[in-house]
Amino acid sequence: MAGLSPTRSLHSGLAWLACVAVRLAVSMGGLSAVAVSAVAAEPLAVYTDTLKPLLAERCYSCHGGLKQEAGLRLDTVSLMRQGGDSGAAIAAGQADASLLLSRVADADPSQRMPPEGEGEPLTPEQVAQVAAWIAAGAPAPANEQPESSPADHWAFQPRVRPAVPAVANAAWVKNPIDAFLSQAHQQQGLSPQPEASRAMLIRRLHLDLIGLPPEPGLIADIEATAASDWYEHLVERLLADPRHGERWGRHWMDVWRYSDWWGLGEEHRNSQKHIWHWRDWIVESLNADLPYDEMLRQMLAADELYPDDPAKLRATGYLARNFFVYNRHQWLDETVEHVGKGLLGLTMNCSKCHDHKYDPIPQADYYRLRAFFEPYHVRLDMVPGEADLSRDGIPRVFDGVCDAPTYLFVRGEESRPDRSRSIPPGVPEFVAFRPISIEPVPLPKIASEPERQPWAAEAHMASARRAVAAAEQAVGEIAAGKDTTVAEAKLAVARASCTSLERRIEAARARWEWEELKTGGDQPPLVRGLARSAVRAERELAVASARQKLAEVEVRKKATDGDPKGAIAADLTSARGELESALAAVDVPGESFTPLVGAAWVQTHFNGTKGKDPIVAFPAVSTGRRRALAEWITDPRHPLTSRVAVNHIWLRHMGQPLVTTMFDFGRKGNAPLNPQVLDWLASELVDSGWSMKHLHRLIVTSAAYRMASSPVGGDATASRDPDNRFLWRREGIRLESQAVRDCMLAIAGTLDSTMGGPPVPTAEQAASRRRSLYFFHSNIDRNRFLTAFDEADVKECYRRDQSIVPQQALALSNAALVHDSAAAIADRLGDASAAAASTATTLDDSGFTARAFVAILGRRPTAAETAVCLESLADWRGQASADGTPAPAGDHSRMQLVWSLLNHTEFLTIR
Amino acid sequence: MCGTPDHPSLRVPARRRFLHGMGQGIAGVALAALLDRDRGRALANPVGWTAPDGRPHFAPRAKSVIWLFMNGGVSHMESFDPKPMLTKYGGRTIAETPYADVQNPEKLKLERAMVPDANGQQRNVLFPLQTGFRKHGQSGIEVSDWFPHVARQIDRIAVVRSMWTTDSNHMAQTQFHTGRNMLDGEFPTLGAWVHYGLGSLNDNLPQFVSLGTREYWNKKDGLYLGPAHDAVPLRIDPANPLDFGTPERPMSRQAQEQGFQLIKRLNSLAAADHAPDPATAARIASYELAFRMQSSVPDLVDFSQETEETKTLYGLDQPHCRDFGMQLLAARRMVERGVRFIQIQHGGGGAGAWDAHGDLRNNHTKLSLAVDQPIGALLEDLHRRGLLDETIVVFATEFGRTPGSQGADGRDHHPFAFSVWMAGGGVRGGIAHGATDELGFHAVEHRHYVTDIHATILKLLGLDSHRLEIPGRKRLAIDHGLPIEAILA
Repeated sequence: MAGLSPTRSLHSGLAWLACVAVRLAVSMGGLSAVAVSAVAAEPLAVYTDTLKPLLAERCYSCHGGLKQEAGLRLDTVSLMRQGGDSGAAIAAGQADASLLLSRVADADPSQRMPPEGEGEPLTPEQVAQVAAWIAAGAPAPANEQPESSPADHWAFQPRVRPAVPAVANAAWVKNPIDAFLSQAHQQQGLSPQPEASRAMLIRRLHLDLIGLPPEPGLIADIEATAASDWYEHLVERLLADPRHGERWGRHWMDVWRYSDWWGLGEEHRNSQKHIWHWRDWIVESLNADLPYDEMLRQMLAADELYPDDPAKLRATGYLARNFFVYNRHQWLDETVEHVGKGLLGLTMNCSKCHDHKYDPIPQADYYRLRAFFEPYHVRLDMVPGEADLSRDGIPRVFDGVCDAPTYLFVRGEESRPDRSRSIPPGVPEFVAFRPISIEPVPLPKIASEPERQPWAAEAHMASARRAVAAAEQAVGEIAAGKDTTVAEAKLAVARASCTSLERRIEAARARWEWEELKTGGDQPPLVRGLARSAVRAERELAVASARQKLAEVEVRKKATDGDPKGAIAADLTSARGELESALAAVDVPGESFTPLVGAAWVQTHFNGTKGKDPIVAFPAVSTGRRRALAEWITDPRHPLTSRVAVNHIWLRHMGQPLVTTMFDFGRKGNAPLNPQVLDWLASELVDSGWSMKHLHRLIVTSAAYRMASSPVGGDATASRDPDNRFLWRREGIRLESQAVRDCMLAIAGTLDSTMGGPPVPTAEQAASRRRSLYFFHSNIDRNRFLTAFDEADVKECYRRDQSIVPQQALALSNAALVHDSAAAIADRLGDASAAAASTATTLDDSGFTARAFVAILGRRPTAAETAVCLESLADWRGQASADGTPAPAGDHSRMQLVWSLLNHTEFLTIR
Repeated sequence: MCGTPDHPSLRVPARRRFLHGMGQGIAGVALAALLDRDRGRALANPVGWTAPDGRPHFAPRAKSVIWLFMNGGVSHMESFDPKPMLTKYGGRTIAETPYADVQNPEKLKLERAMVPDANGQQRNVLFPLQTGFRKHGQSGIEVSDWFPHVARQIDRIAVVRSMWTTDSNHMAQTQFHTGRNMLDGEFPTLGAWVHYGLGSLNDNLPQFVSLGTREYWNKKDGLYLGPAHDAVPLRIDPANPLDFGTPERPMSRQAQEQGFQLIKRLNSLAAADHAPDPATAARIASYELAFRMQSSVPDLVDFSQETEETKTLYGLDQPHCRDFGMQLLAARRMVERGVRFIQIQHGGGGAGAWDAHGDLRNNHTKLSLAVDQPIGALLEDLHRRGLLDETIVVFATEFGRTPGSQGADGRDHHPFAFSVWMAGGGVRGGIAHGATDELGFHAVEHRHYVTDIHATILKLLGLDSHRLEIPGRKRLAIDHGLPIEAILA
């Protein structure tokens, strides 16, 4: 305001003010009526209800707690009066002498506030309201507090382990989580709900920790046990269950934006083929309780930290997933945005075009973070047993263009890079609690020359031998008397190819061994001899290929009557010529043979030309930038990393997060209502060596977790905290799409428990009984059934939606999956009864109903529920065949009862 | 269930009170629960912000929208924007004409392609018009000979000849629906905004429906508004009109109804144990709506009650336009029954059937035959039934095609100028608004970005897009667009 630009200060003085006053008079003509009415409506209320929020939105980012352009702050009336470099912003009672007014009302866009591109100008009505408020003496609320300084923002403070308070309701407290919550309950006058029933807890723990419901037998055993530590035992068992990794793996796949590849039809454009290797790494790592910090380090920089460990390299799928074949900027934008949101809770993306409006993140910081990622590309590494990278391979990242510059884009526009300087990697100053030290990482040979992986040669050989066998079989299958020349030529090619491969492998290995000796000097004769024979074998392969081509043309000639256009004759001449040159080349000496392939760079099309971009090689040294970034992010002193992780874990256990803005811990985000819980858990996470299982254990063994979700009986408390902000009861959680399907299959006993591997293609999903996290799922390919239940959005899913829409009712009542599962469940419950009963008596309807409730909802029915179920069973039997519409033969009433229970709200909810 | 400290599920929102007040009862609860979710979508501190209450912000001129989208890019020069200079200078390069300045690099700068492949290039050799033009109606607006049925309705139509977009590849399909270039990310589509902003016209029917082949772009609408605002895809098949619309295994209607009653009774018992339990109440309501949808949705695409005259009008007896005719007849039935927004995409295959890189004459002849009669019929039929006044019909495509030829006989993508038209619900008929230059290269007079179409439709529906904005999801002025006042009645 008062000093917008250096030139403005030159304009100080009466002349300028007079000039402004004239402009103001013009721009405000005709608005006095509005102004008067605004004043009539309580100037103080206008300020607090209308003007202050308006100033906060349009002005505070430059004239408030974050920045004080020209020394001016507008976040309280007293600061306005105090003014900045150009003097007071308002003169109470004198609208036309107030800089604030003249600057927001200026007709000249170059003088008007907010500056162009920084915010919308005020409307004439708003200007009039400002004028009227000043004219009325600029009244301010009592004790108006200025905006806090970003330096004081809670999430940017170092994490300090809070002291655990002693509380009155000590009997309720099972661990410190409860002590913190209980303190808040006490302060707010709230009473926690009682513990949920044993049956409900058993189901809750199963769904939460492994994503599948408990077996009825287990429920019965636990309900019968007298052991006081049954709960802790169950927790340990479930945390050790490999299905835990599948359950929580899916949660982290949401946060880390897992997606199978997609493009236009068969054309690969986004994410990576075989990205499932990363999914398997997530599941395995969670099961092994790999520390969270180590998981992040591997996802960001396994290629620099563990360059020769393919199992860990899978983790970099996190970055490989951001691949976009056509636009490098979009690719890196997504990387910066989601490293910021997902790992740090910072909306770095807001700084792409301008300084952040709420957090102390200048525009350049966006590009400093981008610079860590500037060199990286994606490649597919060969896996043992498969030489064809289109069939399998590990997508992983590597620094391919180590000197790629990072330019700031003026106003964020890709077409306007500021080439005057390349921006080096760096982090925002307010979280620069330690220097970032970037050291180049020399890579082992096996990383830069992946053909040295022992299985590369083996896979190539196996594939060459398979080709020979296939060619031999083809020759053998030709009927007697038929022409075999082409088939035999193909066999010769396959054999020559096999030989050539063998020679190249021998030659390469000899050279590697000699290199290991580090003797220097010229290659010894043995090594050179092997290279020459590799070259010769390749040339013999070329001869075999030329022979095959000639044989094919000759066969074509035989099969054709005449050759009017002379096309075949021309082909013959050319094929003979090629054969001649190939033969002539065989004896020419040479030592340069084609290297084996052990990995392939994933081609990009950034140049926008028809052609592919030039191949990016595998350098021998990585920049070390991502390693440095990973070390900074996972430093125990980092104020954000652990807090963000805790918030994600808490949300999925408790149904609501501690910080509601999952990906924004900045000043625009919401502060936690229970900050001590967040910080205590974050300290536990870090101090336990970032053990996520430790955190799960703490949360699920708290009294808070074990409360009933029903508000019944808590009327007084409910009236004080109807929104359960202070957690006096549990939140119900609607099952995620995958869990809905998985649970149904588990109860039906049809769930295929195979873990890992390539995703189930869309076309095979209807028949598949694999867990849903193994279904192919991309931005385009989605499973119809799962989609009805808020399937994860692969672009961004920090919190799953929990909608309730009629399409869910249709899917659950009509899908073949549900009908088939219902039939299987009904059969299973019937069989169980037959097996259990030593006599031949069949289970009666109320017995069946009880079993069905336990199997599907994890609890026995009430008398009222049993009664309505019995009534329905009788009705179904009565109406069988009474109706013209198609119905299956036989008595399906029990299947229909099961079908109804699968549609029960409790089946879909973790209560 | 969906409560967060800022967005309580238990606080009764205005919308719910509104619906109860309307006597819409239990279905209103389901919708209210959805709106609670919407509240949760605000990213931060929604001071002074409230979710839409389903009522228009000001008096609407129209209730429903039928949105006809031609996938691939219709040639504007050979549909609604005749350019005789193309024929005059056909075979010459643009540089050889008096209009060489159209290729001034400054004027080409707006182009931003999400997928910069071999298409979307400058095509320098002018390609003559492939069809004739005639004046039609009292307005005398010229329409190409490929659209005779639409031409007969021209006095009900406002043609906008001065559209522009920025993506020179088919992500412009998404851009037309969201107003944003895909390089900026993915944003809600116009249909989702309408669905988000306005209440239901018929609680037994989905309010936002999609028909036809949604080709190139992602099949999502709600994006940050949430999946509840995605279009519900329907098929013209009374036996199976929507996903999971009928049991996929044999189950009699009666048995199913019995089951729905049992589900309701069990859910009510469970809700009582958990009271207050808005989530279960919403689920009970969603089952009632689902059950009614099972019969009301097939009715939308069941033409047995339609007269032979109507079916003939839409061309159902003609193989070349039967499919599109059925979709448009279904659209009219939807409007009658209270569906808010009907989005119909025409032309599957590749990036859209209209994408005539080669043999444009054959391509557009065939495709216009497929759509022309049904569209003419739709306008006529809506008019006869008195529905046209409250229904906006939009004919659109993602971009135009190059004045120059691609290969021997095609036209490439062209973001710099194209035509769309609107009719019905508050739109002035018989007007051609805006203009391109002599070659049809640039929109030069009354230029309109795609969101001006959005703004026009929202205005006619009584919505102010600024008031629909969600805290934390700042929209830019260009996202909102400006209504094209000149074509409003």
